[in-house]
Amino acid sequence: MKPGRLRDILLGSTTVAVFVLLYLPILLVFVLSFFSMRRGRINWQSFSVDWYVRLFENEALGAALYKSLVVGLLAVAGATVFATLVALYVNSARASRLSKSIEYVIYLPFLLPPIITGLSLLIMFRELDVPRGLFTITVGHAVFVLAIVYRIILTRLKALSGTLVEAAHDLGASRLQTFRYIILPNLRTPLLTAGLLAFALSFDETMITLFLTGAEATLPVRLYAMMRVGFTPEINALVTLVLGFSIVLTIVVALTWRNTTGLEGHSSRSSGQ
Amino acid sequence: MRGSVAGLALWAVAVLLILGPLASFLVYGFFSVEANDIVYELTLANFADIAANSSYLTTFFRTLRLAFEVAATNLVLGYAVAYFIWLRSRLWQSILIVGLAIPLLMSYIIKIYAMRGILGTNGLLNRALIMLGVTDEPLTVLLFNLTAVRTTLVVVLLPFMVLPIFVALERISDTILSAAKDLGARESHIFFRVVLPLSLPGALVGAMFTFVLATGDFLAPELVGGIQGFTYGRLVFSQFGLAYNWPLGAAMSIILMIVALVVISVALRVGNPRYLK
Amino acid sequence: MPSQDTVRTDSDALSGTGQARAPLLQIRSLEVRFGSETALQPIDLDVLDGEFLTIVGPSGSGKTTLLRVIAGFQVPSAGRIEFEGHDILNTPINARPFNTVFQDYALFPHMTVRGNVSFGLKVRGVKRNQIEEDVDRVLEIVGLLQLGNRYPAQLSGGQQQRTALARAMICQPRLILLDEPLAALDATMRQQMQSFLKSVQRKSGITFLFVTHDQSEAITMSDRICVLNTGAIMQIGEPRQLYYRPANRFVASFFGDSNLIEPCRVTEHAGRFARISTPVGQFEVQCDIPDRTQGLVLTVRPEAFVAAGDDHSNIIDFEVVAVNFVGSETVTRLRHASLPDIITMKSKSASGARPPAVGSQIRVGFDKDQCSLVPAAEHGS
Repeated sequence: MKPGRLRDILLGSTTVAVFVLLYLPILLVFVLSFFSMRRGRINWQSFSVDWYVRLFENEALGAALYKSLVVGLLAVAGATVFATLVALYVNSARASRLSKSIEYVIYLPFLLPPIITGLSLLIMFRELDVPRGLFTITVGHAVFVLAIVYRIILTRLKALSGTLVEAAHDLGASRLQTFRYIILPNLRTPLLTAGLLAFALSFDETMITLFLTGAEATLPVRLYAMMRVGFTPEINALVTLVLGFSIVLTIVVALTWRNTTGLEGHSSRSSGQ
Repeated sequence: MRGSVAGLALWAVAVLLILGPLASFLVYGFFSVEANDIVYELTLANFADIAANSSYLTTFFRTLRLAFEVAATNLVLGYAVAYFIWLRSRLWQSILIVGLAIPLLMSYIIKIYAMRGILGTNGLLNRALIMLGVTDEPLTVLLFNLTAVRTTLVVVLLPFMVLPIFVALERISDTILSAAKDLGARESHIFFRVVLPLSLPGALVGAMFTFVLATGDFLAPELVGGIQGFTYGRLVFSQFGLAYNWPLGAAMSIILMIVALVVISVALRVGNPRYLK
Repeated sequence: MPSQDTVRTDSDALSGTGQARAPLLQIRSLEVRFGSETALQPIDLDVLDGEFLTIVGPSGSGKTTLLRVIAGFQVPSAGRIEFEGHDILNTPINARPFNTVFQDYALFPHMTVRGNVSFGLKVRGVKRNQIEEDVDRVLEIVGLLQLGNRYPAQLSGGQQQRTALARAMICQPRLILLDEPLAALDATMRQQMQSFLKSVQRKSGITFLFVTHDQSEAITMSDRICVLNTGAIMQIGEPRQLYYRPANRFVASFFGDSNLIEPCRVTEHAGRFARISTPVGQFEVQCDIPDRTQGLVLTVRPEAFVAAGDDHSNIIDFEVVAVNFVGSETVTRLRHASLPDIITMKSKSASGARPPAVGSQIRVGFDKDQCSLVPAAEHGS
């Protein structure tokens, strides 16, 4: 046997094992959303969509899902605006070195364990007498996703040739016009990517949220609470739906990303006039 | 002038939302609690308590070891998988990488819950073992202990490990590999002398971040660890719950943060060797 | 200061050819320092209305810095730039009546050719009908009317170059600054674009300030050339003047292949005639004689050397090192025991001629008016 074949067999079986490990939990959840389980055995005769029907009747889960969506959207919006401003600032020639170190500050909440980000915000909110609730959760999520949004936008900004901005000024554009016509259209794709990624992170964020949540629970926090007292199977249905939705969204984004590189200009031209 | 005003505004937000909270948490570690009230006087009492409490220390070192084992396991598994994917055709690469990313889309909590379904007394794993005749009775050692925590963390953190290694491998240019072949290097030479040195820094960075995530995690230990699977993260979190000793929790987190910062700075150094600049 | 006498030569040349143009830009004592490093020493330069002026120099000579200061991207450390008599250093970039063609073209990747070209008018709030009309006119000039709806990524290098030029022209600037715009093109395309740029400049009458490191490009395209080295102006003048009457050693060696023989000393001197003493013999020369007698360099173009009998007044005996037949020309490399460098001779190839054997001795002559004598030091004193 050639050594290359042995290598392929070893690596291949490891890869298969890893994929089984990764997908077993997902598969289990998917199967259990349609079939019931009795004494650890799946009853293959019990196919039904009952759990999906029950899911839509479960108001607690519905409310948690709604709060997760609201928190995610607000956190992403806030983080994106701030991260874009910081990226523009750091990328500009006018900022001093010391001043540009703000980017390291932004990376901190992402690099440190979430438990630290969570409890520091908790302590500060307590000292400022801000009651825990959706607001504190939203701030926590925005802080958490800031780094990833910033990184994506900055990478694109740096890839934009510096002479593009000079060229716009040279042709008579004001700073505002340059941002509107040159920078923003070129940031469209990274903003979309960053926004979706950040939303996915926020949607799943649990550890920071557990510190900042008051009476209001986002979906993961509600699941966490339910898991300690016992799950109801409609959760399997909910998770299957969310996962399916995420996969579809990812594919759509991947496809649009491929297309936008060539076609982005069409939309910006028509909207620019 | 306009630049400095903009800079100040951005810094103000960063201080309010990031540096301010971190600073207040650092200071809290030096406060104390008396009769459920926080005493705003600086003291080293919390750190003395931690140093004197053997169960705290045991938990701390047990958690470091656990995190190290998770990171090391993931480094080996992750490298093998990334390398396997790297050797495939373009099409298979895309399929396998997307395949790795999809589990990341699934809720963290649910993944842990599913792991419970797999490892539990009536879980899939026990059924498989009984079916294969390995055991007659369902094993109870699979869940609610440190091994369960370790297994769960390996599963949930593994995709984070494969992706950076694959990116590092992708950065190795084809011409370098062709040059090595042209100079007469055998497969094993190419791997150990060219591929590994060029991809290991990225892999180690991934491993160190896995380590940091594993030390601070309290969800997986709490949900699959049971009483035996008590970790430092749970210890910290409990100070903000039932135990209600925020300053002690903050002090414990300071130690955690020092560990994280040391590991991160080592990672940044290891990840940027001069030959990769 | 070097610019003093170079400016004088320049005005001589202009009066000689009968051109009289008003200065569009007057650059005075312009200086740029980056920390302790001097990128531009104080320089004076006039850009004349309607001319094609090329700034040429090796990399690091400060030519791009000079261009960026004029465009407004770079603030000078000292000095003035006057545009038709008004200081413009405080005029913001977007208000200067100049436009730039960038080295990497800096085309907006998300806009079509038309989008790129119309940009300058759009930001000025010009009406849409007017924009369309102007864009058509300019695209016609650069020959891109058919490709208006393409994106930059769908264009060849030459087409991108034309788009960049059209975009810079559309606001009818008084001056177009071109920063090594041909550097990214292949040799054939580059030659096409050279003559194209030249003809657009002629037809439009817009003043072009062109930066390049390529001396042959400078000679081909320019009305006048300004030679920069280490942040200082070496010489300003017409291409022929720089080629045949270099002001110093740097200019002599920068343009074309030239043979430098040094050190030289003037032994007799009368008007444009001089007898000089060199390491390879005594020669008679008829050219501009510098106002010094020591530290001089004799430069002879490769095509000025001829294989000689004894009828030349200036004769050198060389050893043949190599003979390269390159088609219409034959290049002979020569060595002399007293010269550190190899001397090059170019002669017309002839079918019957037998080239000298490598290693043999050969006698070479040159006419007294086919050479120039320049100071070895680049700065006047």
